[in-house]
Amino acid sequence: MKVLMNETDPNQTEAGSQVNSEANNAGPRSVIDVEQVSFAYDGKKEVLRDVSMKIRERQVTAFIGPSGCGKTTLLRCFNRMNDLIPTAALTKGRIRILESDIYAREVDPIELRKCVGMVFQKYNPFPKSIYENVAYGLRIAGVQKKSVLDETVESSLRHAGLWEEVKDRLDSSGLGLSGGQQQRLCIARTIAVKPEIILMDEPCSALDPISTTRIEELITQLKKDFTIVIVTHSMQQATRVSDRTAFFYLGNLIEMDDTTKIFTSPAERQTEDYISGKFG
Amino acid sequence: MPASTSEKPVSVSRFQEKGFRFLGLTFQDVIRYFFGGNASLAIVALLLICVFLIREAWLFFPTHRHDLAIFRQTGVEYVDLMLQEGIAHKEAYTLLNQAYLAELNEPSQSVAAILLAHQQVALEVSKANQRTVDDWKKADDAGKVALRTRWVEGAEKALDQNETWNVEVARFEWTGDLRQKMRQAVLEEGPGGDEKSPFIAELEERKAQIFAETSERLKPFNAIKLAFRNAGRPLDALTDELAKIAKENRELASTFSSAPERKEALLEGAAMETDPVIKARKVAEAEAIVMVAPDYASLTRPFYDSVPKHDAVNTALRSDLAGILATFPEPGTLQTELGRKNLRLAHKSTEQLLGKLKLAAADVKAWRHDAKVGFGAAVTSFFFGKRWITNSSWQDFYGVLPLFSGSLIIALIAMVVAVPFSIASAIYVNQLASFKEQSFVKPTIEFIGAIPSVVLGFFGIMVLGTTLRDVSQLEWLSWVPGFPMQERLTMLNAGLLLAFMAIPTIFTLAEDAINNVPHAFTESSFALGATKLQTVFRVILPTALSGIIAAILLGFGRIIGETMVVLLVAGNKIQIPDFNAGLGVIAQPAHTMTGIIAQELGEVERGSLHWRALFMVGMVLFVISLIINYIAQWVVKRFHKV
Ligand SMILES: Nc1ncnc2c1ncn2[C@@H]1O[C@H](COP(=O)(O)OP(=O)(O)OP(=O)(O)O)[C@@H](O)[C@H]1O
Ligand SMILES: [Mg+2]
Repeated sequence: MKVLMNETDPNQTEAGSQVNSEANNAGPRSVIDVEQVSFAYDGKKEVLRDVSMKIRERQVTAFIGPSGCGKTTLLRCFNRMNDLIPTAALTKGRIRILESDIYAREVDPIELRKCVGMVFQKYNPFPKSIYENVAYGLRIAGVQKKSVLDETVESSLRHAGLWEEVKDRLDSSGLGLSGGQQQRLCIARTIAVKPEIILMDEPCSALDPISTTRIEELITQLKKDFTIVIVTHSMQQATRVSDRTAFFYLGNLIEMDDTTKIFTSPAERQTEDYISGKFG
Repeated sequence: MPASTSEKPVSVSRFQEKGFRFLGLTFQDVIRYFFGGNASLAIVALLLICVFLIREAWLFFPTHRHDLAIFRQTGVEYVDLMLQEGIAHKEAYTLLNQAYLAELNEPSQSVAAILLAHQQVALEVSKANQRTVDDWKKADDAGKVALRTRWVEGAEKALDQNETWNVEVARFEWTGDLRQKMRQAVLEEGPGGDEKSPFIAELEERKAQIFAETSERLKPFNAIKLAFRNAGRPLDALTDELAKIAKENRELASTFSSAPERKEALLEGAAMETDPVIKARKVAEAEAIVMVAPDYASLTRPFYDSVPKHDAVNTALRSDLAGILATFPEPGTLQTELGRKNLRLAHKSTEQLLGKLKLAAADVKAWRHDAKVGFGAAVTSFFFGKRWITNSSWQDFYGVLPLFSGSLIIALIAMVVAVPFSIASAIYVNQLASFKEQSFVKPTIEFIGAIPSVVLGFFGIMVLGTTLRDVSQLEWLSWVPGFPMQERLTMLNAGLLLAFMAIPTIFTLAEDAINNVPHAFTESSFALGATKLQTVFRVILPTALSGIIAAILLGFGRIIGETMVVLLVAGNKIQIPDFNAGLGVIAQPAHTMTGIIAQELGEVERGSLHWRALFMVGMVLFVISLIINYIAQWVVKRFHKV
């Protein structure tokens, strides 16, 4: 993350040391710091209001909440995918990833995205071969050496638990796989560029229960190497895979805590109502 | 469920249909048949067009075969072989002659240009004083003196104006001195322009002198050139002699083949006649028409007899030409670019000529008047015939190759220009432009498609042709193939205009194809850290490729069928482009399949061979378009499965 280093920001060192000391106190280091963030798509109507949170390293953090509460929006702020919408912007606050302010002017979103990968709700491999799908991230980064590519493709596919199923047909189209395989291919494609953080927006919502289970197992595996943020509508999924859970409601972060705590004794009334199915 | 008036339903079902029926049809059915009818109407129209085209064209081949049979039996074909030898010889000679003329004129060119400028200035002056000049011409001697003073005043006034000096200055520089001298010369020449001024006289003398010197210097070249020309004399003489016989033979043949028709017409006339005398005369006339086939064997006797003579002439010509070719000057020794270029071409074309003559000698020997003309010959001579010659006093030829090659080269030029341009614009508009630019650029490009092609053709004649030719004369552009161009109306000109017409088609379809690439692909590419350009070239373009190929094909189909522009701008010269010029062929004029139909169909006799030939050309065009469309659809289907 050298590229994100923001040496001109005078607050940097101070804030950084703060985080570090806190991280030292409270177990794992925090990699994403969201500080009083508000966000609007059109510059006026805020769909996120004053959200602050810390996301810890090598843990799975789940975002839950009723539809339209802003989970996807916040997730896409982390890799600046919202930049693709011309008028969308933070109206307030700051997001720091690995201690760099990612909305600082000097930051190149291209470099940021190499560090913060994303897996989408609907699996979307490119209409290329399985091999080329996984190698894509490396190729655009300028890697040409066949040995490096081969090695990374294999290790990424192994990591994503797909290698045994596809090793004999790496040259056939990625679109010929089953839905669950395609989603794992997308995960392999994401981890091939060796990001620090992986964002997943409802990665299982288009899949059958068996494929869902496989992906959930995979997430538990990946936790060893990556920090994962996952948006989900399934309470069970959140309890199964995540260490910490954040509950959003109408653009506000209502509560964030250890998953077991949220689902057994939430501090807020709204959280309790939501997880017990009173609304949503 | 037919209208049930006789048997009343037992109970009104709760699922009974609502609304009413008309002739047993529900409203839904009516709508369905209405739209279905429209669609089938389009298909029926297409079928009708096919049937019409085929019906008019299919008789071409039998008729053509008959025509070719006469061509052979009468011996016209035999003489035509020799005629072609002569034409090839003359073509090579023309190139050599052009090289010579370029050399000859070059040294005196600058003086000639000054003289020309002087003429232009004098003309301007006399125009400005038209009245005085006219009066002066009519006046008597006394009047002339007074009028002359008036003219001098007017002429001086005109000479003071800058417009008068607005002449083409290409070969010399307007120095103040030169201008002063020319001014004086104009005044000295008087209102009639016939009193020689010493300055002009001196220039003319110099020009004549330079010219004489140059011709002296070029004497050897001139001798070579003349020897080259004269070598063809015996062949020409022989051809002329035999051509007369061939023409007579053909006359006989056509009298014979039209005999039944004439006889029938006379008898018909006789039947309607009331006056017995005239009737009897007409019947007698009809009886007199003999219907005996000419004896082609004896008619073609002179041709067979001439074979040895031709052989001698041909051999002599070949050895003469080979000898002369060896004495051609080195192109490097010539002084002008044009001369060198033409000399090189002449060299090449003489070498080709020697090969052609050898083949022709064999062909002439092998020729038989009674060799059968098969149906295949009628077909090949259309599809692979190198000559399209109509209304000729010698023989008509219907070979589609010159037209086809013209159409193809023009379309290729257009594609080479239009494809990169349209696809780059499509990428730009769809991927890189801001919303504002998009909403300006897109409709603008699409608007090009609304320009009537006749307007574009007009523009091509009036503006583009002249501009291209002028630009092509620029010294620093001489490396471009085909430059400098002699003509205004060329394949390049037509190709550029057609490119302009193809751009909206290719652009719109390619932009659609790019737009249809799912957003998910773009998004995941960005999420992997790709830049905009990487995303465009590695994800969007490959995904849209089938659509883009289809766009290119349909653009091609659009321009191969375009008529107005090529008819107006391509130069309408019916010949296979000379590929000796390399890529420079684009500077040559050509005719096209569409152009020939538009130009000739109105003038030919319905049902004649020529008329049917034009329909065959139409068929060829139709089939080409059909194939292109079919391939385009196939490409889209094939690649869309992924
Ligand atoms: N591209 C956009 N332009 C304008 N408004 C948007 C855009 N995308 C989302 N919104 C709005 O922002 C709010 C939050 O949307 P978001 O997609 O973040 O919700 P979510 O929590 O992910 O919902 P879901 O669970 O249904 O995916 C919604 O009110 C939505 O209408
Ligand atoms: Mg969402």
